[in-house]
Amino acid sequence: MGDYIISVEGLVKRFKDVVAVDNISFKVRRGEIYGLLGPNGAGKTTTINILITLLKPTSGKAFIDGIDVVEEPDKVRKKIGVVFQDPTLDNFLTAYENLYIHGRIYGLSGRELDERIKEALEFVELRQYANKVVRYFSGGMRRRLEIARALLHEPEILFLDEPTIGLDPQSRNKVWEYVGSVRREKGVTIFMTTHYMDEAEFLCDRIAVMDHGKIIAEGSPEELKSMVGSDIIIMKFNDSQRAVCLEDSLNGVIRSCRPISGNRIELVVTDAVKVLPKIFEVFERRGAVIDEVSYRRPTLNEVFLYLTGRELRDSLEESPRPTRRW
Amino acid sequence: MDLKPLNAFYVMIYRQVRRFLRARSRVVVTVVQPILWIFLFGMGMGNVFNFQNPMVDYFIKQQFNGLDYITFLLTGVVAMSIFVGSFISGVSVIFDKQFGFLKETLVSPAPRELILLGRAVGDSLVLMINAMIVLGLGFLISNELRPEGIPLAMLYAFILSIGFSSLGIAIASKMSSMEGFQMLMNLIVMPLQFVSGIFFPVERMPEWMQLIAKVNPLTYAVDGIRYWLTGRSSFNPIIDITLLLILSSISIVIAIWSFRKATIEE
Ligand SMILES: Nc1ncnc2c1ncn2[C@@H]1O[C@H](COP(=O)(O)OP(=O)(O)O)[C@@H](O)[C@H]1O
Ligand SMILES: [Mg+2]
Repeated sequence: MGDYIISVEGLVKRFKDVVAVDNISFKVRRGEIYGLLGPNGAGKTTTINILITLLKPTSGKAFIDGIDVVEEPDKVRKKIGVVFQDPTLDNFLTAYENLYIHGRIYGLSGRELDERIKEALEFVELRQYANKVVRYFSGGMRRRLEIARALLHEPEILFLDEPTIGLDPQSRNKVWEYVGSVRREKGVTIFMTTHYMDEAEFLCDRIAVMDHGKIIAEGSPEELKSMVGSDIIIMKFNDSQRAVCLEDSLNGVIRSCRPISGNRIELVVTDAVKVLPKIFEVFERRGAVIDEVSYRRPTLNEVFLYLTGRELRDSLEESPRPTRRW
Repeated sequence: MDLKPLNAFYVMIYRQVRRFLRARSRVVVTVVQPILWIFLFGMGMGNVFNFQNPMVDYFIKQQFNGLDYITFLLTGVVAMSIFVGSFISGVSVIFDKQFGFLKETLVSPAPRELILLGRAVGDSLVLMINAMIVLGLGFLISNELRPEGIPLAMLYAFILSIGFSSLGIAIASKMSSMEGFQMLMNLIVMPLQFVSGIFFPVERMPEWMQLIAKVNPLTYAVDGIRYWLTGRSSFNPIIDITLLLILSSISIVIAIWSFRKATIEE
């Protein structure tokens, strides 16, 4: 089946009035962590739902390990583990019972199942809560339990839909830690979605940036950032009148510029160290007093801004969380 | 043959029983409510029909398949508790939808029919145990019950339970929230209860009502259970079980069909 464990060709999913997934194609390599990054409503969950055989695509093809997800869903189901965006644990049962039921549904039983459950709980550090009813678990504990459950039947691919949505920073770090070690220790391919740039950047080997149902860019975090330019310079002035982009004079020196809050401007350049003297000169000639200067590598947020003209954060606020669908 | 898929069937039985043991509030519907019916309604009404006059009392007993009113009602209420409980358990697939557990089973390679049937059988077992508790109390207040009839009565109860939990599941597949639940209870559960011979015998109903009673699966469960527990009934128990089997099979087929069709798009 080659190097690609997931392969998607011209996938389209249309609901009554919306095109949730609009002709996307991508391939995921065996053993990598591949992320779909995009704002709410971009079509990430819909894409996952097609890959995990819960939804049928309107058109296009998707293959898991060479198997068509529409033609042979049962074969696909044996190969995958899923952590859904919304919790799917049975709140009335204990952590152990949740895993036990999952294991039995996947055909495991007896000593083997018992050992795997204990190992899985150990892995996510929930062993001591094995016999506690899930209703009393915190959000972070539930997520960890769901990860343990998704790994119980030793899938080849783990699907994670917004694995840290709504978690506190500590729980997020834990989840990141587990995701990293799943790949390292178990060699499982991970396909995940997120709207957090830092998460995508920290975890993913390759990222597809998704917006309005389309993939608008794909590559490693470094590759994506170099699309924007190499560096971001922030300059703060003593006077708001001065915080303007002198684009005419800086033509050829910078890639782009925009005013931001607090008497500041943000410049995108290829190499900050080389162009800073020139930039200073231009501003000084105009009599502007520069209070502070800093420069840094671009973040994925700037990539998204560059690609769509919107900030990833803004689009989050624009579209509230869609109502829950099962 | 690969028997592993049966794992999914057994474990769903296990899940339903386990959940029941944790969520004890459900006992209110399936045990406490029938007991209230028997004691408060049955004893009150029983007294209305008790004239302390052998001739009159004999005549009145004739109206209730030859049974004391309390015995008549109590056998019906055993069937009623199974009926209401199984319908609610079927409809509560909705909760699995809402709380995501259903998705978790839908991405598994286990056959969906087995998951569904396991769930229905698990709930039915729970309901049988509840019914036995109710029946146990019945033996304290009625001397017309026959313990030897219990196993066969429970067989009827089981078929009834599978039938109505399937019907509940079929309806739940079309619902996206619990909002319509109260309406379902009022529009389906209440009328079927009244038109089934639980509270008054089918042959004493007005003609039009008898027609409805005769297409109501619950009627045959009530009648069959009453027969095996008391030896008295309106219909032949063989007819009862035949019709019950046919009607329950139809609802299983509908349930499997609508469950298969249900995707997460709805
Ligand atoms: N079952 C559905 N029926 C109708 N529209 C849907 C359904 N699921 C998702 N959508 C719509 O499809 C778009 C993409 O949604 P989704 O895949 O959930 O995005 P994301 O996971 O990136 O937030 C949204 O506009 C959403 O409202
Ligand atoms: Mg989503």
